[in-house]
Amino acid sequence: MSDTGDGLGRGDRIELTFPARGDLVVLARLVASAVAARAGFDIEELEDLRLATNELCMLAMQGSDAQSGALYLELTMHGDAIGAVCTLERAAAAHAPTPEGEEIARLSELILDALVDEHGRESHDGAVRTWLRKQRGEHGA
Amino acid sequence: MEQEFQIEERSSGDTPVIAVSGEIDVATAPQLRECLHRLVSTGHATIVLDLLGVTFLDSTALGVLVGALKRCREQGGDLHIVIADPRIVKIFEITGLTNVFTIADSLQAAGAA
Repeated sequence: MSDTGDGLGRGDRIELTFPARGDLVVLARLVASAVAARAGFDIEELEDLRLATNELCMLAMQGSDAQSGALYLELTMHGDAIGAVCTLERAAAAHAPTPEGEEIARLSELILDALVDEHGRESHDGAVRTWLRKQRGEHGA
Repeated sequence: MEQEFQIEERSSGDTPVIAVSGEIDVATAPQLRECLHRLVSTGHATIVLDLLGVTFLDSTALGVLVGALKRCREQGGDLHIVIADPRIVKIFEITGLTNVFTIADSLQAAGAA
């Protein structure tokens, strides 16, 4: 339930499910931006969360057949923080990453390290789950 | 409203200048990869990449740029990046790529005005 009037508050949750295709990751970015704006994140934090959410989706899809399965994104308010979880369900068996794929994954990790407070990646029963948590109002701290 | 992804090719003397606008992500980066690969394959070892019109850039885009830089340097050339938007500069900084690429903040500074 929201505790900030028209904005978003503790416990509010937004969910998005879409086919795991690269051309649709823009949807995750748009939702992350909208949620961050309504949660009172400033413009720099909003841009950080937009890029971080993009990378979260990229890491979830890394090594899988990107044309199969569904990508499920859940954004949840935790007080002054937003938690994002990205799950790739029904993924095809992962293939060996190319050198460029490995480099992109390394860059994704660097971006997430810099932009969010915590992040991680787990695989379980054929599903890949990536997650992050970003606190609001940390600039100038 | 999202700015449409576009690639424009021109030249400054013998050096190709590639101007990209819009968002470079996993969906659009392959077009940029193909363009850069084609130029290097046809003997252009040094390329100026004008990213002044880019509004978003992710790890896939950076991967393409790193790959193109390697190919340019293997041919004895370089890939010069032109960026000015602080949000785009920040992405190069946090990934350590400001120490890898030759980066200018204007086409003039890159010698491609």
